[in-house]
Amino acid sequence: MPTIVPDTVQGALIVSVIDFFLSFLIISGIGIVLSFFPMLNRLAQFVKAAPPARTAHDTKAAQGSKVVQKHHVDTEAQDNIAAIAAAVFVVMDGAPHRILKIEPSARTSSWSAEGRIAQHGSHHVR
Amino acid sequence: MLDLIFTFLQALLDQTGAVNFSFGNLLMILVGVIMIYLAIAKHYEPLLLVGIGFSCIVANVPGPPDVPGGPAVSALLYAVKDGGLFHYAYMGVEKLIIPPLIFLGVGAMTNFGPMIANPRLVILGAGAHLGIFVALILAKMLGFTLSEAGAIGIIGGADGPMAIFVAVKLAPHLLGPISVAAYSYMALMPMIQPPVMRLLTTKAERQIGMAELRKVTKLEKIAFPVVIAIVVNLFFPPVAPLITMLMLGNLLKEVGVTDRLSKTAAGGLMNVIIIILTVAIGSTMAAEKFLTFQTLEIVVLGLLAFLFGTASGVVTAKIMNLFLKTKINPLIGSAGIASVPIAARVSHIVAFQENPKNLLIYHAMGPNLAGVFGTAISGGILLALLGVN
Repeated sequence: MPTIVPDTVQGALIVSVIDFFLSFLIISGIGIVLSFFPMLNRLAQFVKAAPPARTAHDTKAAQGSKVVQKHHVDTEAQDNIAAIAAAVFVVMDGAPHRILKIEPSARTSSWSAEGRIAQHGSHHVR
Repeated sequence: MLDLIFTFLQALLDQTGAVNFSFGNLLMILVGVIMIYLAIAKHYEPLLLVGIGFSCIVANVPGPPDVPGGPAVSALLYAVKDGGLFHYAYMGVEKLIIPPLIFLGVGAMTNFGPMIANPRLVILGAGAHLGIFVALILAKMLGFTLSEAGAIGIIGGADGPMAIFVAVKLAPHLLGPISVAAYSYMALMPMIQPPVMRLLTTKAERQIGMAELRKVTKLEKIAFPVVIAIVVNLFFPPVAPLITMLMLGNLLKEVGVTDRLSKTAAGGLMNVIIIILTVAIGSTMAAEKFLTFQTLEIVVLGLLAFLFGTASGVVTAKIMNLFLKTKINPLIGSAGIASVPIAARVSHIVAFQENPKNLLIYHAMGPNLAGVFGTAISGGILLALLGVN
């Protein structure tokens, strides 16, 4: 494929201007395509919202799985409480303390962000 | 008798490279030592710099001449010669086998969530590429051909495999210095970028916090590589091999049913390729080939490309802030220069030094990943305009 751009400084300028401008245009296009991606989730929800009719056997199986899931969550919660209690014990240097309440942190709170960065930093790839 | 011993010793000495040692070799060995030092002491991309630095050192230790009276050839260059191990390693670079495989590994390691979550920031992936064109125009003014200038300019994309890809297509004879400049500057970004970033931003701007990004679902992450592969193959055939492999690697990661393949692509395969690539690049740094005025010009132009790219990314972010209700931290603009994830890490660290509660890494990854596409798009358009398929 022959080039149509002259091999001069002016040619270099033309190539640069066209390339820079088109890059902006095309990457903006990619941005626009990406902005439609949340619609995929809505589409998936729409598909999920219309489940096929269940048989009696399916319903029984689903109930069974709920029981298993609840037991799993309970065990997980107990594990979390034990881990949190151990962490508090270490931070307090074993001093007498009482944990009144454990609840999920607000995702934007700064202290949890600090915790995250400390945890990330602790195994930084170098 | 004494004469005979002297003759034997002389013959023995001639079998070594000691008599062929030059000041240029010494200089390049020093360069190699500095690279290894930066990797160990400063942690500047050790995966790249250790291999490149070591190969640079060995490539500059002259061995005996290949033919009596001929130029000295280092042991490493023997390995690079036709039939040697690294001859085939270098063929992997020259025949464009390695760059797509690197992209496969990068794709398998990368979470494109930050880019999908905030599509507005992808514009920074184009904004931070002014350096490519500054270097291109300056190279042309220095007397390089337009194809050579294009290959030199792409150093400013801060994307090693893409720099190799474009250099092989546009100016294969400049592959050595271009790949060395690209990879060395990528490794040295923690030194190059922060002064420019601080110069172009106020303290208040550097402290701008950014709201947490929305959660990206698995469905979106699976759709992303498929959609992008279609778009790139449709509109950018010249760079399609690289981006397609990037997207394949990412699809292997995101589908969740091909863990073995994605782990291989991102782990063992990637490590083997890094070893081959760094040795192949370092072995091109022999003084007699590398210490030329042309190489010096390319190295300086590469540095300028990185500086202007960083600056244009920050300025683009500041321009965006003029139109946005919720301001973005302009430090993430410099991450648009590509070089995943080094540039994003630099943005994060500079912001973190200003305010330890400001965690920009996830936000900076968006423009950083967009920068990969920005470089690919710029390279693709460049190849198309210069008549290369």
